Amino acid sequence: MRDATRTAEFGHPQLPDEQRDALRRAVRLEWVTIGVLTVTATLMFLVLGSSQAMRVAWIEDLLSFLPPIAFLVATRVIRRPPTRDHPYGLHRATGIAHLVAAVALLVMGAYLIVDSGFKLVIAEHPTIGGIEVLGRTVWLGWLMIATLAVTSVAPVILGRAKLTLSETLHDKVLYADADMNKADWMTGAAAIAGIVGIGVGWWWADSVAALLISVSILHDGLRNLRGAVAGLMDRRARTYDDEAPHPLSDRIDEHLTALPWVEEARSRVRDLGHVFHVESFVVPREGMTPSLEDLEAARSECVDMDWKVQDMVIVPTAGLPSGFLPGLSTSGQDH
Amino acid sequence: MATRSPFVDSPTERGGDVSRGPIVRAMVVCGLSVLLTAGCGATIPTDPDGTLDRARGGTLRVGATANGSWVDLREGEDPAGREPDLVRSFASTLDADVAWSSGSEEALVAGLEDGDLDLVIGGLSEDTPWSEEAGMTRPYTESIDGRGGTVKHVMLVPLGENALLFELDSFLLGSGDPR
Repeated sequence: MRDATRTAEFGHPQLPDEQRDALRRAVRLEWVTIGVLTVTATLMFLVLGSSQAMRVAWIEDLLSFLPPIAFLVATRVIRRPPTRDHPYGLHRATGIAHLVAAVALLVMGAYLIVDSGFKLVIAEHPTIGGIEVLGRTVWLGWLMIATLAVTSVAPVILGRAKLTLSETLHDKVLYADADMNKADWMTGAAAIAGIVGIGVGWWWADSVAALLISVSILHDGLRNLRGAVAGLMDRRARTYDDEAPHPLSDRIDEHLTALPWVEEARSRVRDLGHVFHVESFVVPREGMTPSLEDLEAARSECVDMDWKVQDMVIVPTAGLPSGFLPGLSTSGQDH
Repeated sequence: MATRSPFVDSPTERGGDVSRGPIVRAMVVCGLSVLLTAGCGATIPTDPDGTLDRARGGTLRVGATANGSWVDLREGEDPAGREPDLVRSFASTLDADVAWSSGSEEALVAGLEDGDLDLVIGGLSEDTPWSEEAGMTRPYTESIDGRGGTVKHVMLVPLGENALLFELDSFLLGSGDPR
């Protein structure tokens, strides 16, 4: 019945207007990011001297292509509705894309640390000479610094815009991407410091700056790997930035427990990527066996609570199954 | 507990920055200190080993290896040819004398690495295999080799001696050596 809005779905759930709008803007921003990165990487390649810091900054820019591509691919895949073979939908595509981007960052970060560290140890003196611009010979270092300064601005602006969208969409790939973009100016600043260092005759400044950038790439890789793996391992659903358990889980339990026929209720919630899969175990009060209507009403009330809740099952049980709900004796607020 | 809207207790975007704290600080401190030093009147670029300063008004130690009309070595005489001429006029802009030595390319590049030479010539091209061991000038002229390919000619300086390299680049490019 809603074929017109079909393209703005995350699998089966219909996205609310706010999320649909955010998704459209996020897709547009990611295309803009790819465009900006293409220009940036080309400009940097043209002035790439023998500065290790500049080389590492350039490689970081190349790696920055991965999260937007991962996001764009994943948002295409997850639009497909669940099938007989994929009854949970294809939301995990987001997690897989996240994992791939994280591994690339991690491996490249580690390699660049070794590479930059090696250059520092063997005391390789970076060599930057002159270049002819408009008939005058200028030191190539100035050109490199100017390029780095100019290309560091756009990612920060894009990153800030994407950060708010990632919260609205509960999208962890978009969040990781935004977070990396937002920190991109530091890469530029470090590389500039390295090149100015070369300029004043401190050959080691370049390798040190390169090491710092490499460490931050590795750090990004580790952080994203941890988040991606935890998500794929069905960790309890967390907020878009992985900082805290997602409050929705407690709200569902509170809502169900407050129903007149419910003695106690606990849920396990996993994040499929954007949307949650919720299994709620409900113990009815003594002598108040719920009707099918009661169960259906409880389910649809929870689904109405948040667009992320769609795939939800309510299981009435005689007692809460501690095997499926670890940490049952403690409060639901534990992290 | 009262019902809350989702995300109400999710940290603000500052949360993401906290884990980066040390790296950010290191980068900023590093950047500022370098910029400060640069602002304090150091000439850019500067040689880590002071090669240009030493050569200015003193001696430019040049290694030459024979290569056709580019470098013509004769027993008991100073090298002749196109590149030795260029080197002599470059040295005169520095008010420097030229101390010549000759040998194989390998021996001369080793001289650059050991700090015994300041400049190596020998009709070398941009594709020289010594680009990892020595700094290369911009190609300052082109020639056609026997197979009709273009050869872009360069000279070699010690790695990282950027003031010397920049001075030499400025001289070679500015000398407007037309083909």
